[in-house]
Amino acid sequence: MTVDTSFAVDLPAKRSGAGSWVHSYAAMLRWETRGARLLLPLIVVVQILAGAGFVLGFGLLIPDIDAEMALYLSTGAVVMSLILIGLVLTPQVIAQQKMEGSYEFLWSLPVPRSAATMASVTLAAVAAIPGVAAAMLVAVWRYDISFVVSPTVLPACLLTLLCGCLVGSAVAHGVEEPQVILLFTQLAIFFIIGFSPVSFPIDRLPPWLATLHEFLPFHHMAVVVRSSLTTGMVRVAPIDWMVLVAWTVLAAVITGLVLVRRK
Amino acid sequence: MGRRVGMPVRGRMKDWTFRVENLVKVFDASARPANDGLTLEVRPGEVYGLLGPNGAGKSTLVKQVMGLLKPTSGSIRLGDYDLVADPAAARQLCCYLPQAQMPIDSFKAREAIETAGLIRGASPAEARRRTDELMSSLEIEEWADTFGVKLSGGVRRLVGFAMATVCPGPIVFLDEPTNDVDPMRRRLLWERIRVVAEEGSAVFLVTHNVLEAEKSVDRLAIINEGRLVDQGTPSSLKSEDKGCMRMLVMLVPGAPDPDEPGFVVSSTRVSHNLATVIDERDVSKAISWAQGLIASGQAEEYALGATSLEDVYIRLTGEVSAIGHDR
Repeated sequence: MTVDTSFAVDLPAKRSGAGSWVHSYAAMLRWETRGARLLLPLIVVVQILAGAGFVLGFGLLIPDIDAEMALYLSTGAVVMSLILIGLVLTPQVIAQQKMEGSYEFLWSLPVPRSAATMASVTLAAVAAIPGVAAAMLVAVWRYDISFVVSPTVLPACLLTLLCGCLVGSAVAHGVEEPQVILLFTQLAIFFIIGFSPVSFPIDRLPPWLATLHEFLPFHHMAVVVRSSLTTGMVRVAPIDWMVLVAWTVLAAVITGLVLVRRK
Repeated sequence: MGRRVGMPVRGRMKDWTFRVENLVKVFDASARPANDGLTLEVRPGEVYGLLGPNGAGKSTLVKQVMGLLKPTSGSIRLGDYDLVADPAAARQLCCYLPQAQMPIDSFKAREAIETAGLIRGASPAEARRRTDELMSSLEIEEWADTFGVKLSGGVRRLVGFAMATVCPGPIVFLDEPTNDVDPMRRRLLWERIRVVAEEGSAVFLVTHNVLEAEKSVDRLAIINEGRLVDQGTPSSLKSEDKGCMRMLVMLVPGAPDPDEPGFVVSSTRVSHNLATVIDERDVSKAISWAQGLIASGQAEEYALGATSLEDVYIRLTGEVSAIGHDR
């Protein structure tokens, strides 16, 4: 049969540019928000329990906790909440998409990869707020301490969260097997809680591990966030910010590369 | 910002035929290629069916178009666009209903379709208007505010179809669109697929349901083991069987192939079904042959009917299609 192509119209031009990116970001944020609607309340509850639990748990571990130490541990709990959202929750969500078969559909959508990634980071940031707030409120109530919040708190928390989310995304997009991704998140929890100078000073670590942490982001995350919530407790140096920015950029580049990679 | 996909203007480029040339995809160098030199063409306004058994390479082809897999060699073009070189353009120009259900557990049906429209670049008002239109034509309005997790498989499939076509690009890929859909809404779905084509999109349909495809597509190709084994309109594919009838003999499971009389034009055994094509003039001889097989305990029953695309499909792929299994 012959097909009547008399009505055939021109091929549309490819969308690009800032306006298109913003439209895609807004649409994907809507997609992510609706998509997380059933799970988000549960995640928020877990975050609140974890944030509050860290703070209360340290009090059990150290019975005669003084105000200084309480402040150190409570700010550590805040940092922990921010890191775990990015390095544990983000990869778990991606592993879940790979297991249920929706992963390929999501990446066949006509939006820039960066807009889709930033939409999920935005949702992660919103999901992190209750855990952070719970940790701080419980600390104030339980140990009668006060935080000195400086204007750097916003960039410090956002950079910590963004860096964690992008590192988590790079791993989860780069590793094909969902089981391996889940194993990575288990190791991340183990390493960050047990062997990273977030809830304890870096000089307690053996020298080689302390040196390693100069190059990893976790110590620097703790320093920038803690310095934005306290005065005189830690000294933040430009190198802390630089290491975090470097990790964020590196993770963004790797995420970008693995997302455009086609098998 | 460029022009939205799906909202073209007249007057410049007229040819937006979808062309696949010599497409090869090798996953494992020691195995046969998943796609082995595919060449095909789909024009605007056309419903094109790709038929083949599981593992024939249908989804591999679609995933290469959507930029999820990279071809080993060959080209995929839509008009002037090179979709292999520019996967971002491919995702904007091609709409895709995957074989797996859409991940819409926590979406209300209406939200899922509207959001898909926004993602495809529609304005909120346009997305809403198209959503209402699709839900009404597919008769799924009563589930508009039902969460995906509570929808039946069939309704969920229709919502997925609406998501893929709410703002259709120049080509729409539908991978097994009628899976799980009840017969009544299946008809509405086919009508809607025809509307998508009439509005100017090319529709590329992947299915292993031969009988449905026979009734609904303009042209089709049969793919087996990575190669296109035949291509044309449903009637041109059946022309070889003109003046023939089909006789399906259900053999006793485990029975050896019976001796075939000379009048059998062709035969293919799939499991315990022996599908034969015979000349119309040999019908009475064929009936006696089949009755003899039953009498001697080699066969359980037989069925005689008009030849269909199913016979062509069986001959070319050695498989019974989805609908053939249901019989």
